[in-house]
Amino acid sequence: MKNSSLLISLLLSGLLTIVSCSPNDSKTPSTDQPDPVNVGIVLPLTGKHAKFGEIEKLSFELALEKVNAEGGINGRPLKLIFEDTTGKPDIGRSAAEKLITQNEVVMLGGGYSSSVTAAIAGVAINKGFPFLVNTGSADIITEPTAHTPSGKKIDRLKKSNKSDDITTKIAELTKKAEKEAESILSRYAIFRLNPPVSEYANGIESFLAQVVKPQTAVILNENSLFGTKGAASFQKTCARLGVRVLLKESYDQGAIDFKPILAKVKDLDPDIVYMSSYVLDASLLMKQSMELGLNPKMFIGGGAGFTLPEFYTAAGKAAEKVISATLWHQSIPFPGAMEYYDDFAKRYNRETEYHGAEAYAATFVIADALRRAKSFSPEEIRDALLKTDMETIFGPVKFISYGAKVHQNRLPTYVVQWIDGKLTMIWPENLAKQKYVYPVNWPEERK
Amino acid sequence: MKKHTFGIVIAGILAVAPLLIDNDYYLHLMILALMWVVIGSAWNLLAGYTGQVSFGDAAFFGTGAYTAGLLHDHLGWSPWWGLLFGPITAIMVAVPFGWICFRLRGAYFALATLALNEVMRHTATIMDGFTSGMAGVMILQSFTSKIPYYYIALALAILSVVCVMAVMGHRSGYYFLSIREDQDAAESLGIDTHFYKMISLAIAAGLTGVAGALYMNYMGFIDPEVVFSLHDISIMAILVGIVGGVGTIYGPAIGAFVMVLAQELFRTGGFGVITSLAESTGNASMITIANNMTQAHTLGFGILVVLVIRFMPNGIAGDWEMLVKAVTKKR
Amino acid sequence: MELLLQTLVSGLLKGGVYALIGMGMTLIMGVMGVINLAHGQIMMVAMYITYSLFAIFGIDPYLSMAIGAPTIFVLGAAIQRYLLNPLMRIETILPENQVLMTVGIGMVLTESMRIIFTSDYKSVQVSYSNAVFFLGGVSFSMPLVIDFFLAVAMTCALFWFLIRTDMGRSIRATAQDKEAATLMGIDTERITWITFGIGSAIVAMAGAMLLPIFYLYPDIGGPFTRKAFVICILGGLGSTVGAIFGGITLGLAEAFGATYIAMEFEDMIGLVIFIIVLLFLPGGFKRLTGV
Repeated sequence: MKNSSLLISLLLSGLLTIVSCSPNDSKTPSTDQPDPVNVGIVLPLTGKHAKFGEIEKLSFELALEKVNAEGGINGRPLKLIFEDTTGKPDIGRSAAEKLITQNEVVMLGGGYSSSVTAAIAGVAINKGFPFLVNTGSADIITEPTAHTPSGKKIDRLKKSNKSDDITTKIAELTKKAEKEAESILSRYAIFRLNPPVSEYANGIESFLAQVVKPQTAVILNENSLFGTKGAASFQKTCARLGVRVLLKESYDQGAIDFKPILAKVKDLDPDIVYMSSYVLDASLLMKQSMELGLNPKMFIGGGAGFTLPEFYTAAGKAAEKVISATLWHQSIPFPGAMEYYDDFAKRYNRETEYHGAEAYAATFVIADALRRAKSFSPEEIRDALLKTDMETIFGPVKFISYGAKVHQNRLPTYVVQWIDGKLTMIWPENLAKQKYVYPVNWPEERK
Repeated sequence: MKKHTFGIVIAGILAVAPLLIDNDYYLHLMILALMWVVIGSAWNLLAGYTGQVSFGDAAFFGTGAYTAGLLHDHLGWSPWWGLLFGPITAIMVAVPFGWICFRLRGAYFALATLALNEVMRHTATIMDGFTSGMAGVMILQSFTSKIPYYYIALALAILSVVCVMAVMGHRSGYYFLSIREDQDAAESLGIDTHFYKMISLAIAAGLTGVAGALYMNYMGFIDPEVVFSLHDISIMAILVGIVGGVGTIYGPAIGAFVMVLAQELFRTGGFGVITSLAESTGNASMITIANNMTQAHTLGFGILVVLVIRFMPNGIAGDWEMLVKAVTKKR
Repeated sequence: MELLLQTLVSGLLKGGVYALIGMGMTLIMGVMGVINLAHGQIMMVAMYITYSLFAIFGIDPYLSMAIGAPTIFVLGAAIQRYLLNPLMRIETILPENQVLMTVGIGMVLTESMRIIFTSDYKSVQVSYSNAVFFLGGVSFSMPLVIDFFLAVAMTCALFWFLIRTDMGRSIRATAQDKEAATLMGIDTERITWITFGIGSAIVAMAGAMLLPIFYLYPDIGGPFTRKAFVICILGGLGSTVGAIFGGITLGLAEAFGATYIAMEFEDMIGLVIFIIVLLFLPGGFKRLTGV
């Protein structure tokens, strides 16, 4: 026993020394090239989110080539170091900690899912480290006041649904929360390129008000952050438009059969059916609606699943004439959008979508900020990011504060429709590629 | 005293480790590993010593984590109170469950714990007015430095190992073992097996709940899929126990370090050693290995699990003699 | 009324697919007492085989079963023979090592498929994917109706196989008492890997049937493993007839729950039934019917 315990302790201490002595890979010897500027990108490259992680990684790489061809960061090449989060927050945090301490990156990007992004945001807030979020859509990520005691009180008040006058109370608490958040705000270096989930459906509001003019609606959503928040914000949209919500139901991702719920929807006969789902459930929902002969005035997707190429491949005719909110589409006349879409298709032999565009645009925002930063200290990079004002394929980027949000890029969202197998911009009208098809004769479309 | 030399030496090394490795990344890994020591030891008490294999440790882990988070969210208390109340709520989940389900044996009990795990996850998702559902609970960390977390995690890890040691040295420990070996025989000897199984479950749930509260405090964000994860928490707990050595005091602790470090080793391609070697030498085949490694790390980890179970079924601590022999023979 | 009928039909048809998924597992659990946590992953591999055959050679998913099922039989048999059986021979404190082995195998299968096929979502669209017919206002999905009858046919075939053939008798003997079976001259080792192979082949067929109406990516296996447990426990371990009852009960419970309670409770309902059956009817339907 004594022998073996000695052996174990030797082994463990040996392990510790190995760990503490393992080479620091940012110090790769350089020959003639100037040292690269390292930026860490955390993405889910394995695990269930890997599909979008892959698209984002390829887009980052595509953009990186362009940035370096343009001269990199003031003569020094930009280098993106990718780390896999496997879609788990604790591993995501390991990745972020490794990038910061081992690879000595100057800032972080990526993140993808909200839980991983939130875990990394914790590190970034703690260290005042710059972190450009390009996909994580939970509102809280750019709301530093939400973390304070008063911020939590506001949240509870809003949830409590008490009718008595809470607006003055909220205003009071907001002021308090702002004061409490000062210490965080001074080192808050998290920026977000994409709109938060509560704004995803904004674009669809005017379309509904001006074109569809529905009286009643049914909302179906996936039981995820994206699904529930998207549905909740659409419910608010309905309240603003005076649309009666007949039914709001959530479901767990991966269901085989939506027919019972869809039969219930058919019984209620709403004007519109709004669905906040990922691609696979989205296609099943549409296919089974078709099988049941569910024909509302319009099917509306809340982005994500409904805009991916796989949606149409899987749903086939059932997807025809369905409309969806979207954050981006290649036909939006932003400089370089179409070029990126074509480049991606040519290089990787597959289609890209808005996640990829977010990653592509993020690379240019990072490069732009690093070029302008006086030094690569977190404070200087944060200042440079604050002064960002540029055009990207994802739209104009400028980090502003509004409401409870800080460092948030504010963008409109758009409406697209599947017309003859092609996802087409239809709203706002001045950007539309083609006129929307409405009303729709569903049985005719699905023949 | 001699019996505990090993534990004291290791605890001593771990206590001074932060002074030697002042590196946030390694400290982060150590904190995770220490957290897994707590969970693994708790699982081992119930499964390894009492023979009641749980596939639902995440139910207790998540309850502890949510207790810490929701106390902060709803009452404005410091989430550190979770370390006290987390185990209490976890035990409150465990006791009724055990009372009902301990009539089941073997695989049936394991399946019931699996169901408990899933029920808790769904409950946390559905009750979104109370738990914030999938939006999760986010808190700000109280310390900027990793050191306080490290020592808290270390204290909890030592506490859990000592706790298991103390219980097993106590009379109830022998009852646990007798239940594991032959429940009917134990019963016929007049041991209230149902009661002692409940005791074992309550201790295990309490310890797991503490680990959950620690996770909330340290990670700052939880949602139902993270803390009630069947694969990432419940099964990982079993892997830690089995790889380290079932029914041994130090096994789960060894398993925790091995698993956390192995996972990271695979994920980063040997802490970046392979990548940096590939880059510095510019060797084409090295670069492909480095690229594939990052892609296939979960596969590598899975193969490691299969190999360990296949060739070291009693775990590292359990098959220690065999391991030592194998190493010395080769020499 | 129409809503009620539609719910009933949906539940029944879904139950047919569930039954096939559960049947493979019930055989494996009944004979070897192994909780096979890689069951859904084995189905996922089978679905990739079906998908590849369709994408490359254009073979119909139903026909490709003739290739997929034997391939998966070999895979399953190899897993049992070379990875699980050696564990049975070793004295360990807990018999659950085998369960963990299946966890590891599940990981390896998932990640191997990810490396080969990436994480992209795949689906197979055949002419009858969306075919429906209406009976009194109730919609029947054609593929699901076929699957349902195939499930019933498979149950009967397997039942016959277990009752009538020598191999079936040996399997049942092994399930009842392994040592006695060995004494009777049955090569129980061989029986275990054959059983695992058959169980895997059945779930492979379930996967092939599911593909035209569902979709595919590497992480699809986990939820189906969990569903399979519920079905097994409902039906009783080792009972093929029980599996079809278990599958249909689960399908119906989920459908009625979705219509009359809320769809978010769908999974909860299955789990609650699962726990109730575990506690009050250990042995499942097998105990009521005796088969």
